[in-house]
Amino acid sequence: MLIIENIRLALTAVKSNKMRSFLTMLGIIIGISSVIAIASIGASAKGAVGKEFEAYGMNYMYIYPNWEMTQDSIEYPDLFMPEDIEALKYRFQEDILYAAPYITYNSDTRVGRNDGKLSLQGVNAGYNQFTNMILLHGRMINKSDVQGKKDRIVIEKEAALHFFNKENPVGEILSVVINGEMKDLTIIGVYEVPSSLFGGMSMSDSYSTYVPYSVLQTGDPATYYIEIYTDKKKNPDTMGTEFTNYLTRIKDKDPAFYIYDSAESQMTQINTVLGALSLAIGAIAAISLVVGGIGIMNIMLVSVTERTREIGIRKSLGARTKDILMQFLIEAMILSAIGGIIGTILGVGIAAAGMSFANIDVVIELSIILLAVGFSAIVGIFFGLYPARKAANLDPIEALRYE
Amino acid sequence: MTDELIRMEKLSKIYDTGEVQVEALKSIDLTIHKGEFIAVMGASGSGKSTLMNILGCLDRPTDGCYYLEGEDVMGKNDDELSAIRNKKIGFVFQSFNLISRTSALKNVELPMVYGKIGTEERKERALELLTNVGLEDRAHHLPNELSGGQKQRVAIARALANNPQIILADEPTGNLDSQSSVEIMDIFCRLNRQKGNTVVIVTHEQDIAEFTDRIITFKDGNIIKDEIKNEVGTC
Ligand SMILES: Nc1ncnc2c1ncn2[C@@H]1O[C@H](COP(=O)(O)OP(=O)(O)OP(=O)(O)O)[C@@H](O)[C@H]1O
Ligand SMILES: [Mg+2]
Repeated sequence: MLIIENIRLALTAVKSNKMRSFLTMLGIIIGISSVIAIASIGASAKGAVGKEFEAYGMNYMYIYPNWEMTQDSIEYPDLFMPEDIEALKYRFQEDILYAAPYITYNSDTRVGRNDGKLSLQGVNAGYNQFTNMILLHGRMINKSDVQGKKDRIVIEKEAALHFFNKENPVGEILSVVINGEMKDLTIIGVYEVPSSLFGGMSMSDSYSTYVPYSVLQTGDPATYYIEIYTDKKKNPDTMGTEFTNYLTRIKDKDPAFYIYDSAESQMTQINTVLGALSLAIGAIAAISLVVGGIGIMNIMLVSVTERTREIGIRKSLGARTKDILMQFLIEAMILSAIGGIIGTILGVGIAAAGMSFANIDVVIELSIILLAVGFSAIVGIFFGLYPARKAANLDPIEALRYE
Repeated sequence: MTDELIRMEKLSKIYDTGEVQVEALKSIDLTIHKGEFIAVMGASGSGKSTLMNILGCLDRPTDGCYYLEGEDVMGKNDDELSAIRNKKIGFVFQSFNLISRTSALKNVELPMVYGKIGTEERKERALELLTNVGLEDRAHHLPNELSGGQKQRVAIARALANNPQIILADEPTGNLDSQSSVEIMDIFCRLNRQKGNTVVIVTHEQDIAEFTDRIITFKDGNIIKDEIKNEVGTC
């Protein structure tokens, strides 16, 4: 009963000093809103990353030599040879849908007056079945392109528009330099990738293209990386371990000489980084909560001094130490709770606005909100306790005599 | 009127301000019976307020004994003293001491809040008390919207909230004109004569003291005169 009375009392006190109360709450508002905004932005980014990987498919991985174990000087026998890849495919024919050397190459090109950069990725036949690319015109690299080392290229729509001013330049030629050798590549297809988080964030100024991987292997067929797409029903981590174990065995290497990097492990890594980042920024934001708490303590001390006489009156009317303590404690808590609520709304608003700007679905975690509001209440109790104790322990006579 | 309410024996109060020690009460003996109407007089600084504060359990004596309704007050802790103030004592101060942010009604309710009386009952009783002092139409006014006399009537209503036996008033008319003073004294008379409250009033004015039945006079921390009138006060 006294609690309700105290809450009412605290609300009157807060209301009768609107400006001061607001300024006092400001620290808490800023603290809570930034903690919640940062946590929500972090969670939203995680969600977006997850979706992105879902879109690409979670079933790809790369296998490569463990650089730490090659001791700086990788040797020729460490690299993968075509027969290694064939052996791997044969051994895991049920599980491996696609396996090819992963080779990329960058080259400048020019068509008429339009010049630009191309990023060439060497692929095997059927690559488009495993990614989320959509063929708009022509066809994808096929088996005969790869086996015949044919100078063919599949380009993205933006490249088509940039170099040829049309969406369908199938049959046209792009001249590139590969390993010092000039090559005229015939365009056989145009594709597009649905717009996505990473696509939008891409900093690269070069256009993505695909060529037969054999075209990029000038002379020597040895490769550092193998790109693999596995059966989606299989666990990528078990697969990765089995593949690398097998390769180490057939190439007679120490255990863990070859390692894999799957979509899943990449996602975990990104999420770890995102998590650490939002935790770090969140921790900095949490400091402003402490600052807000100190603001509350300061104003409560002022309030206790201002109301010394009131405290004396209350005591003369029978208020116990506990009653006065609760009155001021609840006032401090109400201040920080109102600040917490405003801060929560503001933080959610900031996160929602920011995420809609970045075109990401906003993820608001209830646990974060509860944590932040709970924390602000604790801040209120912690920083309200000292002033409240000071008020409660006042001597009634001295308090009544206070001018 | 032989019911003993208050007994003080060899009660003294020393204020220790560090450098000087002020002996505000010097071994006082005082007995007060239920239903008495008393005036406490004396020069400024003679120890009247000090006595009232100790009587009202707001302050503790330095030495001596104090029995309230036969109970030893000296051994009580702070919360027990709060409970005594809440239930048994009603204070009226010279400077009214109303809480300025809340209405007259809320001020009157306050002792009942600390007495853990339910919201409805509290409000009803507060209104009744305000009506008794003629302020039912001022219930929702803030103290600074009231005249001095009205403030003091609110303060009296508040002092009566928990039906205390003892009313202690330290110069209740000190800030009031003579008209309001008489009105306030009429209320105290009514309380004493009709409700049987024990009323102790500190005053500097002889005509205020005339209302009462017994006049205790202080000088330098001693009771120099304790006069129970033959004929009752002018109430
Ligand atoms: N808190 C205190 N600290 C130190 N000395 C005090 C304190 N309170 C009162 N005194 C001293 O005790 C003595 C008695 O004070 P008290 O207030 O009881 O006088 P009083 O009779 O009520 O005077 P007045 O008529 O002016 O109100 C005075 O000398 C005063 O200075
Ligand atoms: Mg005095």
